Amino acid sequence: MNERTDVTAEDAFAKKAKQQFDESVDRLDGETQSRLNRARHAALAELRPSRPAWVQWAPAAGVAAAAVLAVVLWTGNPVVEDLSAPAVASDMEILLTEDSLEMLEDLEFYSWIALDEELEEMPEAENNVG
Amino acid sequence: MNSCVASFAVSCQIEDRTGVETLQGEAKLNRFFADVEKRALRIAEINIRDRDEAFDLVQDAMIKLARNYAGKPAEEWTPLFYRILQNRIRDWQRRQVVRNKVMVWFGRGNEDNDYDPVAAAPDPAGRTPDETLESQEAMASLEDALGELPGRQREAFMLRTFEGMDVAGTAAAMGCSEGSVKTHYSRAVHSLRATLGEHWQ
Repeated sequence: MNERTDVTAEDAFAKKAKQQFDESVDRLDGETQSRLNRARHAALAELRPSRPAWVQWAPAAGVAAAAVLAVVLWTGNPVVEDLSAPAVASDMEILLTEDSLEMLEDLEFYSWIALDEELEEMPEAENNVG
Repeated sequence: MNSCVASFAVSCQIEDRTGVETLQGEAKLNRFFADVEKRALRIAEINIRDRDEAFDLVQDAMIKLARNYAGKPAEEWTPLFYRILQNRIRDWQRRQVVRNKVMVWFGRGNEDNDYDPVAAAPDPAGRTPDETLESQEAMASLEDALGELPGRQREAFMLRTFEGMDVAGTAAAMGCSEGSVKTHYSRAVHSLRATLGEHWQ
């Protein structure tokens, strides 16, 4: 009989303790609940598959590669135009020769001579026909 | 070419399935944490009497469960989670003992251990001030009494009473036999009733 009374009293005690505990849980303030919420999501992030390591470094590697390429292009061998010495010399000769300059000045005259010569040759060609 | 397309399609299906399973597992674990986190925080807080430290321990336990045991059946999560948390609490208490000894050696007492459960209790919600005060005082008395219990008795009482775990689950969480749980729990209840007296009967 006494044993049963003790068990009942223990149960009542445990029930009251549980009730007090639950009330203290209900009294948790909003800031604490917010912190718990953030902690929960941080823990859940552990479940998501992490990207391979190289993917994480890809942006940095891309920037580094672009920088290296830029440096190489900037400081590397300069692109030399293929201007061989004789070609440059001949161009200079043409530009500097007095005859050529005179020819350029009288370009219309020389065009007229060339046209005249062509006209002189044409009747001969027509006569040969037929 | 066709075999490449087929293998790509298969790999996409596998990835989709894995993604769905991850989302389902995440939702399930989210519900578990949401259900247990507030009680776990209060249990840790009552053990170590520092809310910020308790919060860190609960967060560590959550992360460890998610990282290492999320693949276990959901029924096993509660004892696993509390086992992790209890280990964290014990480690913290051991560190505190060492810290306090060092402080005493250097002539400084435990100056920051002036925890006041009533002052730390949050704002009331939906109760009259008298009722709230009475409830807070009752809980403060209970916390003081729990603080005087041996650690294993306190663990057994809190897991059985506050978390509502059965004897088997409590044994799994505490890492001991079911018989030990019954013994610890019974001694805890006797001690608490004797300490709290008629006010709590």
